[in-house]
Amino acid sequence: MIMVIGGACENKVQTVIKLFSVDPSEIVDGRKCNLEEVMKSRCISNFHFLIKRIFELGKDTDEFVKRFCNQNSKAIIIMDEIGCGVVPIKKNDRKMREAVGRAGCIIAENSKYAVRVCCGINTFIKGNNYEN
Amino acid sequence: MTTLICGGSKCGKSALAEKILDGVCEQKFYIATMQPYGEEAFCAIERHRRIRNEKNFETIEKYRDLEEISLPNGCAILLECLGNLLANEMFCEYTSKNIADKIISGLIHLKNFSSELVIVSSIVDCDGIEYSPETTKYCQILAEINSRAAEFSDNVIECVYGIPITLKGRAIC
Repeated sequence: MIMVIGGACENKVQTVIKLFSVDPSEIVDGRKCNLEEVMKSRCISNFHFLIKRIFELGKDTDEFVKRFCNQNSKAIIIMDEIGCGVVPIKKNDRKMREAVGRAGCIIAENSKYAVRVCCGINTFIKGNNYEN
Repeated sequence: MTTLICGGSKCGKSALAEKILDGVCEQKFYIATMQPYGEEAFCAIERHRRIRNEKNFETIEKYRDLEEISLPNGCAILLECLGNLLANEMFCEYTSKNIADKIISGLIHLKNFSSELVIVSSIVDCDGIEYSPETTKYCQILAEINSRAAEFSDNVIECVYGIPITLKGRAIC
C-alpha cells in the first residue's frame, strides 16, 4: 500500500501519475465513487472525503479503513492533511476531522511507502528506494 | 533529553510520545493539561488514562501553572499538551501579562529536574482560515511557544498520520 498526502492543492494526483505510473483511468474519486468500488480500485483520490461520506452515513470509519487495508492492500491512497487547524466549533466537524486523522494513521501503518507532496515536490516520509 | 512532538488532530502524537518513554526505567509521570469539560473531553481523557495506566505512568492533572509542579529529580515526564495548556492560561480569570514567557519558564522548570522530558504540542495555524482576533492571538502564541520550545529541545519531531518526521536532533523512534 502506498499513501500520498499533502495540502489540498499540492499536485498530489499528478505526482502519483508520474511517480507510480498510474493511468488517470485507474483513479477513483473518494468524493463521489461507489463506496465498495474502493475495495478493488488501484488508486483512490480524496480519501479524506470518502471518510467524511462514511462518517455521515453513521458508519464506523475505523472499521471501514481496516477492512479496506485488508481487501485492497496494494492500493495507492491520496488524501489531504487536514488536522493542523483550530479545533472546529461544530461537533460533527470535530468528529469528522478526528475520524480522518485516525484513518490516516491506519493507512500509514499499513503502507510500505508514504509520500508527502509540497509545491509539487515529493518527499518519502516512510520507506525509500521505491522501484516501479 | 528533551523532545518536542508537534502535529495536527489525531495524528498519533500521544502514542509516539508514550513510545519514546517505553524503555525508560525512571519513574514516569504524565502531566495532563486537558480539563474534563464535556463528553468528548471526558472520553478522550478516559481513553488516554487507560493506555497510560498500562504503561506505568502516574498521572498528574495540572491545567496551568507548570512552575508549581514538584516531582522527584531524574524522573521522566510526558506533558500533554501545550495547546490545552495555552488555552487554560489564556482563557482564565487571572491571565499573566506574557503567557508565552510563563509557559516557557514552566517547561524549563520541568526540564531542569527531569532526566527525560517529552512535550506534546499541536499545530493549529495551517488551515488558512481567518479567525477572531482572540483565536488568532491563540494561534500566534502557540506557534511562538512551539518555536521557543524547539530551541531548547534536543529533538523535535513532527508527527504526520503517525509517521515521525525528525526536524531536529536524531531519529529516536
